[in-house]
Amino acid sequence: MIRYFINRLLQAIPVLFGVIIITFILMYVIPGDPVVSMVGERYSEETIQRLREEMHLNDPVPIQFIRYVGNVLKGDFGKSFITGEPVTVIIMEKFPNTMMLAVVAMIFAVLIGVSLGMISSISPGSILDRGIMILALAGISAPVFWVGLILVLVVGVMLQWLPPTGFGGIEYIILPALTLGLRSAAYLARLTRSTMLEVLSQDYIRTARSKGLPEWKVFLKHAFPNTLIPVITVIGTDFGSYLSGAVLTESIFGWPGMGRLALEAILKRDFPVIQGTVLFMAVMFVMVNVIVDLLYGVIDPRIRMERTGKQ
Amino acid sequence: MLNALRVLILSLLLAGCTKDIDYQTLTIPYSTDIRGFDPAFATDLRTGKVISLLYDNLVRFDLDMNLVPGAAKHWSVSADGRKYTFIIRNNIRFHNGDLLTVDDIIVSFERILNPQTSSPQTWLLDRITGAKEYLQGYTDSVRGLTVINDSTLTIELDEPFSPFIQYLAMPATAIINKNEMEHLTNIPAGSGPWKLDKWERDGEILFTRNIDYWDGSPKIEHLRIRILSEIMTQSAEFEAGSLDIYEVPKGELEYWRDKDYNKKEENELIIRYVGMNCSRPPFDNIYLRKAMNYAIDREKIIHILLNGSATITSGPVPPRFLTGEVRTQYEYNPGKAINLLKKAGYKNGLNTELYVAGGSEMFHVLEALQSDWAAVGINVEIKRSDWNVFKTAVREGKPDLYYLDWYADYPDGENFLYPLFHSKESMTKRNRFSDPDVDAIIEKIQRLPDNAERQSLIVEANNMIADKAPWVFLWHSKTTYLTQKWIGGFRPSPIFNAQRYTLVTKQIGP
Repeated sequence: MIRYFINRLLQAIPVLFGVIIITFILMYVIPGDPVVSMVGERYSEETIQRLREEMHLNDPVPIQFIRYVGNVLKGDFGKSFITGEPVTVIIMEKFPNTMMLAVVAMIFAVLIGVSLGMISSISPGSILDRGIMILALAGISAPVFWVGLILVLVVGVMLQWLPPTGFGGIEYIILPALTLGLRSAAYLARLTRSTMLEVLSQDYIRTARSKGLPEWKVFLKHAFPNTLIPVITVIGTDFGSYLSGAVLTESIFGWPGMGRLALEAILKRDFPVIQGTVLFMAVMFVMVNVIVDLLYGVIDPRIRMERTGKQ
Repeated sequence: MLNALRVLILSLLLAGCTKDIDYQTLTIPYSTDIRGFDPAFATDLRTGKVISLLYDNLVRFDLDMNLVPGAAKHWSVSADGRKYTFIIRNNIRFHNGDLLTVDDIIVSFERILNPQTSSPQTWLLDRITGAKEYLQGYTDSVRGLTVINDSTLTIELDEPFSPFIQYLAMPATAIINKNEMEHLTNIPAGSGPWKLDKWERDGEILFTRNIDYWDGSPKIEHLRIRILSEIMTQSAEFEAGSLDIYEVPKGELEYWRDKDYNKKEENELIIRYVGMNCSRPPFDNIYLRKAMNYAIDREKIIHILLNGSATITSGPVPPRFLTGEVRTQYEYNPGKAINLLKKAGYKNGLNTELYVAGGSEMFHVLEALQSDWAAVGINVEIKRSDWNVFKTAVREGKPDLYYLDWYADYPDGENFLYPLFHSKESMTKRNRFSDPDVDAIIEKIQRLPDNAERQSLIVEANNMIADKAPWVFLWHSKTTYLTQKWIGGFRPSPIFNAQRYTLVTKQIGP
């Protein structure tokens, strides 16, 4: 198990190196100039030159690249061109916010998605089932910004149940987390339903039923654990991307997270912040995936055995 | 599912999450975050506004654009216009309790000019005698800055330069506590009417009033600036009552027209324009540039598309800085435009491109301009790109045409002339316009003190530039501010850093 874990982490190194190279190239390929975002309207040419010099923008790109990689290996991600603050400090300021939003969104997604999927699978084809599946389809298809704005308008402005947007106590996190989690919830509902239906038609369920077990016990004890694998899969893919920040949700709700940080950095061509956030996001994504992989083994002994068998 | 949601939300509400209006806090929105609290890097409007809340300057602008005393209680200018003498108040304390002294002023100004600081705002102070040498790193101090005694300071300039006193009201010339200059990006060191509580980046900036402020404490206890990048979010928050003041976006005027809020309209010190590259074909041709101006129906666009939220231009300078009757030189006259086009040698019309920064709320307006130009045979293709790419292109002189605006740094006609049309500026960062007559008259305006002669020269320069048509002059915009019923004492100001919210109140009842 530990060896497997270490192996996976080692595999991530070329991935991260690739991420660094690609971000670096992209930044120098896209048009625009970081200095322009810094100097306002009345700058002199000397100011521009001085800033370029200071930011090492006049050096040849390969040299800039080598310097950057060297610094990253030392744990130095540079300083923001715009505010002069260390990139690590900026990211560490935003990441907890993003983490919090991602976790709550994921909890919503799992609670809503799995329970709806279960309910749906009780009597496939019923009106309830169809209703839920239509809702799930709507949830998958609805654009995030639309869902967000509707929630803001209906819950925040018309009903005034919750503050429309903002950041602070628990009352602020509900709407953005719902917005962010709704799509995963819808996806989970469909996945849970189909997994349940598949499982429910298997022999061992029939055996359980024929033993005279009450239906709820068949459902919760014998069939339900099987849905954990799809749940974990969805968490694996979606949670990783939530952690990289959700630009639209964060913008609508004024949530100070990684998504807006990255967006602002891109708009202002704040190269060190762009590089830092992209790299950080990649690390997060890889980590989540490794953890999910490990969880598969914990949940499903068959996967664990397969793995050890191979090694 | 909706039911489940409702139960969830209701249960949270019952847990005590309801929020009442906070009458101690004034809340306003910004659409993007500031750069920090360092005056040296206050190059954008929002950062500048925040600096003016936290710091004092020698002089400042009031809401009506008058230059009023700040840290200097008196000042005088020598007869030759080169030497400024300031008498400093001796009762101003920085937020940490230190007394503001003449030394703080000198150190603050030298810091802006110091090459180590790398401030892009050196232009504000580089006309002081000895500033250029200091900027190059040849000297340890700026010769033109002199301490006479504990409360007197003189500033000497190389040449008479009348806008200088207004430069001293700009964010970058704010006075910083010389003992606390280490972490200005995050920790301000000013003496202004508001003290910083907290800055949550991309979230909010919180201030508490400076109860001991020498010019009177703000009436309301706290000020909260929320960073809300989505206009829709701002408008929802205002409607929910959690924002107190809201600047209505141009596209939403109709929606808010009959809503029951207090409304204030302000003529902004702004001009919107289309810059034409005057140094190369096709727009080096003055007849073509005039044709561009005659071809568009400004009145109709202002009336129909902008809901009347703009006024017509007579040239680059806003009407408040012009004496006498202000009228436009370019009435809507497509016939004349076609004739001028022929005269310019474009009998069969021409094709060109207009650069626009993305996110502009003006696309429908640009499309109207596009169709007016097409009607006389000028086919303009609109090219959108993000702000940074756009600004880089303009700086490099790439676009033939670009749509942009100019906000006043300080309330003076000169601010709509030199930075935009003097060859030194235009040839390096804008639409490559160069004209010795225009340069000469602008330089003369810069030397003269504010008097009748200067005022008439500003009118003359305005008309001269209108006549040479380096731009398609569009309009001066108005801004509508809405305030909640419980807000009193709010007055918008056309100058960005004059607004310090010190007189605003928030209370129940009318």
